[in-house]
Amino acid sequence: MNENNEKILQVNNLKVYYYTSKGTVKAVDDISFFLRKGETLGLVGESGCGKTTTGVALLKMPTPPGKIAGGEIIIDGQNIVELSEKEVRKNVRWEKIAMVFQGAMNCLTPVYTIGKQMMETLTEHKQMNKEDAMKLIVKYLNLVGLPEHIVNRYPHELSGGMKQRVVIAMALFLEPKVIVCDEPTTALDVIVQAQIINLLKDLKQKLNLSFIFITHDLATEAEVSDRILVMYAGKVAEIGTNQQIYGKQGPMHPYTQKLLKATPRIHEKVDELSFIPGTPPDLLDPPKGCRFHLRCSEAMDICREKEPQLIEVEKDHCVACWRCTKNV
Amino acid sequence: MKMKDLKFWFKDFWNEYKKVKFGIVGFAFLIIFLLLMIFEPYIVPFSQASSRWRDITYWDDNPSGAPPVWTNWFSSKKSPESEKITKYQSEVIEGDLKFINSTFEYDYKYDKAPLDIIFHGKGTGNMTMIVKMERPDGETFDLVQMPIQTDGGNDIRITLDKDSGAAAFDFAQKFENEENLQHVDKTSVKPLDIYFAQAKSDMLNKIEPLKGIYKFTVTAILLDQESSYEDPFMVVSGRVSGILGTDNSKRDIWSGVVAGVKWALLIGLLTAVIAVGIGVVYGVISAFYGGFVDSIMQRIFELFASTPLLPVLIVMSAVFKPSIWTMILMMCAFFWTGPVKTVRSMALQIKEETYIEASKAVGASNARLIFKHMVPILVPYSFASMALYVPSAIVYEATISLIGLGDATIVTWGQILHDALKGGAVLTGLWWWVVPPGIMIALMGMTFAFIGFAMDKILQPKLRTR
Repeated sequence: MNENNEKILQVNNLKVYYYTSKGTVKAVDDISFFLRKGETLGLVGESGCGKTTTGVALLKMPTPPGKIAGGEIIIDGQNIVELSEKEVRKNVRWEKIAMVFQGAMNCLTPVYTIGKQMMETLTEHKQMNKEDAMKLIVKYLNLVGLPEHIVNRYPHELSGGMKQRVVIAMALFLEPKVIVCDEPTTALDVIVQAQIINLLKDLKQKLNLSFIFITHDLATEAEVSDRILVMYAGKVAEIGTNQQIYGKQGPMHPYTQKLLKATPRIHEKVDELSFIPGTPPDLLDPPKGCRFHLRCSEAMDICREKEPQLIEVEKDHCVACWRCTKNV
Repeated sequence: MKMKDLKFWFKDFWNEYKKVKFGIVGFAFLIIFLLLMIFEPYIVPFSQASSRWRDITYWDDNPSGAPPVWTNWFSSKKSPESEKITKYQSEVIEGDLKFINSTFEYDYKYDKAPLDIIFHGKGTGNMTMIVKMERPDGETFDLVQMPIQTDGGNDIRITLDKDSGAAAFDFAQKFENEENLQHVDKTSVKPLDIYFAQAKSDMLNKIEPLKGIYKFTVTAILLDQESSYEDPFMVVSGRVSGILGTDNSKRDIWSGVVAGVKWALLIGLLTAVIAVGIGVVYGVISAFYGGFVDSIMQRIFELFASTPLLPVLIVMSAVFKPSIWTMILMMCAFFWTGPVKTVRSMALQIKEETYIEASKAVGASNARLIFKHMVPILVPYSFASMALYVPSAIVYEATISLIGLGDATIVTWGQILHDALKGGAVLTGLWWWVVPPGIMIALMGMTFAFIGFAMDKILQPKLRTR
């Protein structure tokens, strides 16, 4: 990865809190990362660690009662947290940052045909006329490997994989700077998964796109991502390049190590998959110190007292663990 | 481009619609109703029925409580039909006095005498009216002789039933035997029965009809030069009348029922469309914004939902003159609460769907999300409930009419039913007064229910067959 590549997306100290009747759930608590142009950043972690919340917050539309409590999201040199809702709506969403949602097959409004839904995006954002829009729609449908005639189909008439492709095609339309893919392949069978992943890789090369790829499937992540960001309980646990996390040396944070051990392998016989006992902590009342210490087999005294900071242990590789901090 | 789109959409819609059988039935009925509405002036005998429903003079020539004409088919004794005879032979004799003779021919081929025969004409000034009758058996006699004084072009109306009482008895006297004449009271003789009976002994007791051509001559003797008499016509007030008979205020039911179609369509459709439209949008907005807005909107909704409409309407009609428009307005103002709760709960679900979130991510505004992504999903439900509101609005209007708060300037099915109830139609066996408006209300309801269900099937893309 070229060091001079501009940072297309920069997130600084982002906090997304859910204000529930029971109290404030700090779903995303003070995380920072960046994304370079033409790069894929993988976001991994267990369920409930704030991956999706982060993804949605990047479009400045946290699910109610969630709110962005602080921090900066700088896309293309513009901090969108400060912008008004109207400006975000008109100039940022889909124009600069698009999203492929979790369960993307439900992303299509059931009452309109595929063509009409795709058309709406183009006519409203780009003020295109219908003929031009249709040409573009067909072009992008071909790009994702779909036949032209499906523009007259209703969503329920398509298979899951087809719908997924439609949604991806829609995300590409306005040539956004960043595309957030929130588990785009989770609900699909492996063959379609492979197709979609190849498609995304292909598109990335062709169009020089930047992706944020959210998934809990580490195998998929290894396949597509240039860099990996591991989240745990609303915090960044570890950031590193694909090599650094999946390579021989292996990850440095105990959580990432355990996560990798829990991944099923195809060519290796494992009697019993190891798992991490317990569940991610209740974010209404997060534990003191390192948030992972309750489940960490290597927890030390300091882990229970003080929160570890994200430390760069080597180039592009940051870890938030007292163990690594000590080593440095 | 827009027109072409619309045309394409409509064609597509019609192709789908054709596949739903009961939809076609509903559509056929709707077409029939629309045709009845459009061709109303041509198919009803009394074209001013709608505007002069409560004007007694307009209906004066009709028989009271007469069954429909087609009941003749089922009875062995044929009853005379109501008819208007405008064909006449005119003869003017000039002299010191001017005689204007108008001769009408009436082909009598029934088993019962008509209830009345009425002569009309426009007269001015002083004149004497004489009505003569020539029977098929050759008997000729004077029926009426009366002086008339009128100003400019008033209608002169002579009825044989009221104006010729003495003549009938005199005529009967010529043939009837002594014994019967003594027993029969002069005032109890029905003149029309005598005129159309065979002239023979015992004719006062046992009436046998004399069939054939009857000639009536109306003579106007004008007493001065300024007087005039023109446009005479004759009306036979039969024992059966019109397609659906008459009520006991002599009104033609068929005219009333047909005139009621347009009001029923207006009341039903307008109320249903406005009320459901408001209700659906209200429910969706309430659900979409949620929180504080939702609470406020739901309290307002409860205010309207818990207010009984009838007392409000009574007060309204005390303050304003009861009119169909205020009634529709008030019904809309309270009917919209119907779909709100259901729509709100449906919208609460839809709101959480991924495609709403996705649309938002694409950059859709709140208005676009509500009106283009949430409301269309509720369209099938809206149509189904609209279909149910059409008959309920019609019935509600009937209810309001029943307690006497209806719009007195128009005629609706509800008002016909109300009059039937008041006139004891069922007790006196005037079924043709009750059944047709009742059936019409039911048919109208059925029509919209069928259309509603068909729409539900078509507009719900998942129920589509392709």
